[in-house]
Amino acid sequence: MKLLEAEHVTKIYGTGEARVEALKDVSFFLQKGEFAAVVGESGSGKSTLLNCIGGLDTPTSGSIRLNGSDLFAMKEHERTVFRRQNIGFIFQSFHLIPELNVEQNIIFPLLLDYQKPDLSRVEELLQVLGLHDRRFHLPSQLSGGQQQRVAIGRALIMRPMLVLADEPTGNLDSRSSEEVMELLIRASRHYQQTILMITHNTNLAASADRVLQVSDGFLKDLGGVRP
Amino acid sequence: MKHARTMKSYLDLVPISAKVSRHQSLLTRLCIVLAVFLVSCIFSMADMQVRTEINQSISQDGSWHAVFRGLTKEQAALITARPEIAQAGRYEVTNYRLDMDYTISGKNTAICGLDETFLQFYPALSIEEGHFPSGNVQAMVTASAREQLNLSVGDPITLDTPQGSLTFTISGFTSDTSSMLRGDAFGLLLDIDTYRSYFSDVTLAADMELYVQFVPFCRIQRVIRDICVQFDLEDSSVGQNAKLLGLMLQSGDDYMMQLYITALLLAVLVILAGIFMISGSLSSSVARRTQFFGVLRCLGATRRQAARFVRAEALYWCRTAIPMGLALSVFTVWILCAFLRLMTPSLYQQMPVFGVSIAGLASGALIGLITVLLSVGAPARKAASVSPLAAVSGNAGTLHPVRKAACTSRRRVQTALGIHHASAGRKTFLLLSASFAFSIILFLSFGTMVDFMHHALTPLQPYTPDVSVVSPDNTCSISPALASELSSKPYVRRAFARSFSYGLPAHSEEGDASLNLISYEQYQFGWAEDSLIEGSLDAAIEGQGVLVEADGEHSLSAGDRITIDTELGSYEAAVAGVLSYTPFSREPGVWTVICSEDLFYRLTGEENYTILDIQLDRFATEENVEELRSMAAGCTFSDRRMSNSEGRGAYLSFSLFVYGFLAVIALIAVFNIMNSIHMSVSARVQEYGAMRAIGMSIRQLIEMVAAETSVYLLTGMLLGCGVGLPLHYLLYSSLITSKWGTPWHLPVSSLLLICLVMVLAAVLAVIGPARRIRHLSIVATIADQ
Repeated sequence: MKLLEAEHVTKIYGTGEARVEALKDVSFFLQKGEFAAVVGESGSGKSTLLNCIGGLDTPTSGSIRLNGSDLFAMKEHERTVFRRQNIGFIFQSFHLIPELNVEQNIIFPLLLDYQKPDLSRVEELLQVLGLHDRRFHLPSQLSGGQQQRVAIGRALIMRPMLVLADEPTGNLDSRSSEEVMELLIRASRHYQQTILMITHNTNLAASADRVLQVSDGFLKDLGGVRP
Repeated sequence: MKHARTMKSYLDLVPISAKVSRHQSLLTRLCIVLAVFLVSCIFSMADMQVRTEINQSISQDGSWHAVFRGLTKEQAALITARPEIAQAGRYEVTNYRLDMDYTISGKNTAICGLDETFLQFYPALSIEEGHFPSGNVQAMVTASAREQLNLSVGDPITLDTPQGSLTFTISGFTSDTSSMLRGDAFGLLLDIDTYRSYFSDVTLAADMELYVQFVPFCRIQRVIRDICVQFDLEDSSVGQNAKLLGLMLQSGDDYMMQLYITALLLAVLVILAGIFMISGSLSSSVARRTQFFGVLRCLGATRRQAARFVRAEALYWCRTAIPMGLALSVFTVWILCAFLRLMTPSLYQQMPVFGVSIAGLASGALIGLITVLLSVGAPARKAASVSPLAAVSGNAGTLHPVRKAACTSRRRVQTALGIHHASAGRKTFLLLSASFAFSIILFLSFGTMVDFMHHALTPLQPYTPDVSVVSPDNTCSISPALASELSSKPYVRRAFARSFSYGLPAHSEEGDASLNLISYEQYQFGWAEDSLIEGSLDAAIEGQGVLVEADGEHSLSAGDRITIDTELGSYEAAVAGVLSYTPFSREPGVWTVICSEDLFYRLTGEENYTILDIQLDRFATEENVEELRSMAAGCTFSDRRMSNSEGRGAYLSFSLFVYGFLAVIALIAVFNIMNSIHMSVSARVQEYGAMRAIGMSIRQLIEMVAAETSVYLLTGMLLGCGVGLPLHYLLYSSLITSKWGTPWHLPVSSLLLICLVMVLAAVLAVIGPARRIRHLSIVATIADQ
């Protein structure tokens, strides 16, 4: 079943001499539960693609549908709520809220959605993420790996259909990177979630079901790396 | 092609960094501009006000500093010869109170003997034509005598005195004084020696005076004490030009000392407000750029270099911000001065069109610079202590070291975060709350000056006449026909007459009494309505009752009855209403009773009026006034236009400055609140981007900013009321209660007004960032980090 469909997506920045075509007629789809990696050189358009898919940036043309809903046919407020409920984000720089502790950061999207947090679910996530002992710590009291685990928890709490990760291990050492990747894969399998991850690391890309390569704005499907 | 200038020092990064983060540095500069503007504008306005008051004081009361009475010729010469005396002039007067029998062509005349130097003390008493009298046959007369008697220089003029007639030759004409015009009298001015040869026997000792002006920077009070000791003068023999000395900070009067302390306190408050505004902005400017300083440290900058960078940056901002603040204040003061000149050109013609207050500008510049240098210490230390790691770690926002998590269990998350944003950085929170509070403190403190103005200066009442025609000897001798003829002139805007019957015997339940019965017509009844504290006017207007003034002499109230005995018999009148005030003087123990013209006629049989007050059209000319004067021949013609204009000018200038202060404070409050919130939003824009990425809606983000603003606003208001109200009490007690006895009251209207201004400013402060948030690019803000 197709969860994500991108059709003829282009993204152009600037005009005249400053015109840059970041994405050129990109079309692809992801199945439900699929774990895909996006690889490519710096400036190739990977992050632009991820931002467009996540509804953070607007494509110049083309359409992006998530579970049949056209993201850019929605009004801004509607799209924000849709994103909040259906897409989880994990950033390279974590982007945790410094004023909130671990548990509050994780349940933050629920609070924004005026939902009452399911305590058992929060407990379960904290256990899975290995953050149970640190639930009342502030981000500034955590290591980089721990902070990224909090960010993963925050991305998963709403049980989104799609998780978008922009170089989630880019700021971590190799040991933390392995932990985070293992956690991400385990969690997505467990919760049947589709993951689209940008990475520079070929080893990490190898752990994905499918690899997409972006080069000079064009997308190429490199196919599955695992049987 | 332009080449970039080669950097010679790491501090050359300052202008480059300012250019790159132009928007953020603009806000800090704006804060410095506002603080400098506030200080400079208020001090410049105060300086201009003092200058205006000095000019007014000199034109009304003269430029003399002290006057010594009852001196001998030798004593006067000795005082004049003292090195502290810049100028001295003798002045003696007969019939100053216009109660003696000295007349020119039947008109009451005051006779003055003076030295020519005396004229320099009184710019209002200038020689309009001719020259100062010389020899013992020449005299000057006031201009009204020239107009009314059709005189010219060289004409003879005869003064009738109880001792016989004296004839002088007119050497010149001087301008009229308001007191002479009001008393419908002429002034005859003689050289002091001539005067003494004729009038020394009839001059009261108290009216023989030596006016002196001291040299600049002389300690006037000490010199006056010295002179008193040297010549054994009593306090009553010395007078001071209290207003002028007060404005020159030379008064020794207790009340003036209280005024000085009040002015000092207000000045300190203004300075403190400036300091708080600048400190708050600098502190948050450094706090929001922790990463930048981290990068500097990463690249090898020492702690000292980082601190020096912050100082250099602050001084760089001052280079443009201080001149801008000063320019803005100069411009504001120009507008104010232009307005004053436009409103009352006669009073403010000496005020320069483009006047600059050196004291105001210097205080603004100095306070701006010193405050920046003082305020930059803490942020510089903060910048120096930033860890190089801060540059490479990447949580959303590294604005303040967070010690405690926000409380999200009881409030909506956006509200909780907004409150936390406001209160987490203790120092910034205190500085911003204090700068908000200062708006209230300043407004309440300067607000006491409005009360002071209402007590110290009386504005012209709606019933104040421009000219009055008065029956001689308080009789009723102005016929209704004359009154009607005078009122029918096209340049007469309004005329209203009164009849007086003095000392009528009366009885009431309180016993026997004596009363002054006064008739009113429709206009005067209309004005009396404002002071009606009991009953109604209707019965009095219809001639069915009377109005009494509540004067503490009786306890009559509406419905009581008074029996009034007149030559026509006894009449029992019902008290229709009680007035808190009437503009008439009376002997102690005598009641003031008002009735209609019809009732007055029934009681006294008198149809004529005692006084006719006339208000002129604004385009009325001197010729028109002269026409009225000639029509009212046989009656006293009192011209109050000059004294009205003096009173109106004093009230207008003071009120313009006081309300100008308040407007500047309110304006600063609005800008300060808007700027502070704008800065706070700018500082957290990356954090907002992250929140938007996670799923926070625009509405939620605006609610968060609104919650943050509300916290500053509420704490600012509480702090402002907590400090401002006791201060208001203190200032009110010292300025007003101590002088006029009016007890302190809660300044509800001022408080409500400034709170309303602050709430409106807070709403505006949220609208700006809200617009920015709506256009916030999530991708761009996240990528910035």
